[in-house]
Amino acid sequence: MLTFTSRWCVVCLTPAAAALALAGAMAQQPVPTAPAAAPAVPPTWAQGRKPEQESLNLAPHPPGITALAPEEIPLDRIKLPEGFRIAVWASGLPNARSMTFGRNGTLFVGTRFVGSVYAVVDKGTAREVKTLLKGLHRPNGLAFKNGALYVAEVSRILRYDSIESRLDSPPEPVVVFDALPKDEAHGWKFMTLGPDGWLYFQIGSPGNILIPPVTHAQIARVDPERGVLETVVSGVRNSVGMDFHPVTRELWFTNNGRDWMGEDVPNDTLHRVTHKGMNFGFPFCHQGDLLDDEFGKGRSCQEFDAPALKLGPHVAPLGMRFYTGRQFPAEYRNNIFIAEHGSWNRTRKQGFNVSRVVLDGDGRPVKYEPFATGFLQAETFWGRPVDVQVAPDGALLVSDDVAGAIYRISYGK
Amino acid sequence: MQRGPILRVFVAARLAVLAAAVIQGHPAMGADAAAGKAKSEACAACHGPDGNSTNPLIPSLAGQTPLYIYYQLVQFREQRRVNELMSPFAAKLTDADMKDIAAYYSGQKAAEPALPADDPRYEAGKAVVAGNHCGSCHLPTLTGQQQIPRIAGLQYDYLVKQLRGFKTGERPDIDGSMASAAQPLSDKDITDVSLYLAGLR
Repeated sequence: MLTFTSRWCVVCLTPAAAALALAGAMAQQPVPTAPAAAPAVPPTWAQGRKPEQESLNLAPHPPGITALAPEEIPLDRIKLPEGFRIAVWASGLPNARSMTFGRNGTLFVGTRFVGSVYAVVDKGTAREVKTLLKGLHRPNGLAFKNGALYVAEVSRILRYDSIESRLDSPPEPVVVFDALPKDEAHGWKFMTLGPDGWLYFQIGSPGNILIPPVTHAQIARVDPERGVLETVVSGVRNSVGMDFHPVTRELWFTNNGRDWMGEDVPNDTLHRVTHKGMNFGFPFCHQGDLLDDEFGKGRSCQEFDAPALKLGPHVAPLGMRFYTGRQFPAEYRNNIFIAEHGSWNRTRKQGFNVSRVVLDGDGRPVKYEPFATGFLQAETFWGRPVDVQVAPDGALLVSDDVAGAIYRISYGK
Repeated sequence: MQRGPILRVFVAARLAVLAAAVIQGHPAMGADAAAGKAKSEACAACHGPDGNSTNPLIPSLAGQTPLYIYYQLVQFREQRRVNELMSPFAAKLTDADMKDIAAYYSGQKAAEPALPADDPRYEAGKAVVAGNHCGSCHLPTLTGQQQIPRIAGLQYDYLVKQLRGFKTGERPDIDGSMASAAQPLSDKDITDVSLYLAGLR
């Protein structure tokens, strides 16, 4: 997996090679010229772990690869503000992750660990769940444009034309772009369609904390008509959620901070992109004001652009959307909802919520609060929010990759 | 250097503590090991009645982490891990069946492995484990955690086949960690480390 396709990558370093080069430079020694094989690196999640942290027994939670039956989903544990309620909208979707709506109302749901893409068809009182695509390589990123479903795997973007009329016999995909890095580490994509018609997604850092190749740790975009790829912003460790402000059309995104620097640092963050070419600091500066304890030496956070909001340490903010519906009270209009998958690199768990961010007239966050809580009960979680999506009727859908379900949060009646 | 009996007892005790913690700690373990024993009759022909396989290419399940057994059964059922022997069995199992079977086998005692006698590859295999950070996920005892399998004491031939499979991509893995980890391994590394692991309890 440590190989790169170099169609657009000019300076390609594998993570192993980058680590080797770095280690060589730090030791003031020449880099070995012809190693028998690339040296092994620790698994992504363990990179940067200090020896004294091993006894904490912290490791990423097992992925959800099955689905709970609807009657097994303890939604009575969920707490919401007054007037809101939550119900199971669809179940039986193992590892349900990113969501996007088709023009005719089909909800498409991607996965990270099971290779499938689901299509959920609303039949009024019930939903029909179809396994639309199988055997894909981490099809976590989805977008819909001109009747076609776009699917981002780790290294390719695929297009399925006229998909909503072919849910039972999807066509062979057209490969739109196939030259993205193949790293497994932070290699799965979140993808969304920009108002400019380009597909936006992240290329994550190929490790917890390292000097990334110039091809990585960024938000990128592809013009699906021409197959052109561009960097939008850099210094982004791994974003698994983004959306465009409905009024300003600026890109906003969530970012997952590094692990093993501490229980309470760094914060995960919410970012506002005011212009192309911004650099948000990874791996030198985290959360806009905290130098990395290793890579920050000799650097300053002033060199970089700051996040719009700190979200808390290790909360794992994934999908985010602006609330553009009309069902919720007026004060929710153009708020940001964020699905927080929840922490693993922290002895007391944090996150496991859907949270709400209120912006003022200048687009500055003025309030950040939990919106849907209760996935975590006394340090044990039964579900993990992954993505949020505003339904055509103004309800908020939430995907859960542990329960394998989609919930609907509605207001009134 | 061969391990003395004291170290072996220490390792076994630590393993038991870890296994207990893992079983109690996971929500999957509303499972019923007694029911799992009854449901595992078909498994016993190949994996052994107590989960200690005598077939070099069929893995022992005794003392395996319950979540690993459960996840692999799901993978077989969903055809994401394909094996002509396993797939038909897994196809018939519900999630609850799989959790019960996993609970049963994880609670069985792993048989004493046949230790290699002064095999020079033993130390080489130990160095492969250290140099490739196997203990990061499989734990320093190599007894696994959560969905990460116990690899200590598995059969040599089975380990070699799986590691070669991870390297070529023939053996899929859920999150890609093993595909990445197997890339730097030479075939000698694979046989050395398999020999070392097969001798661990």
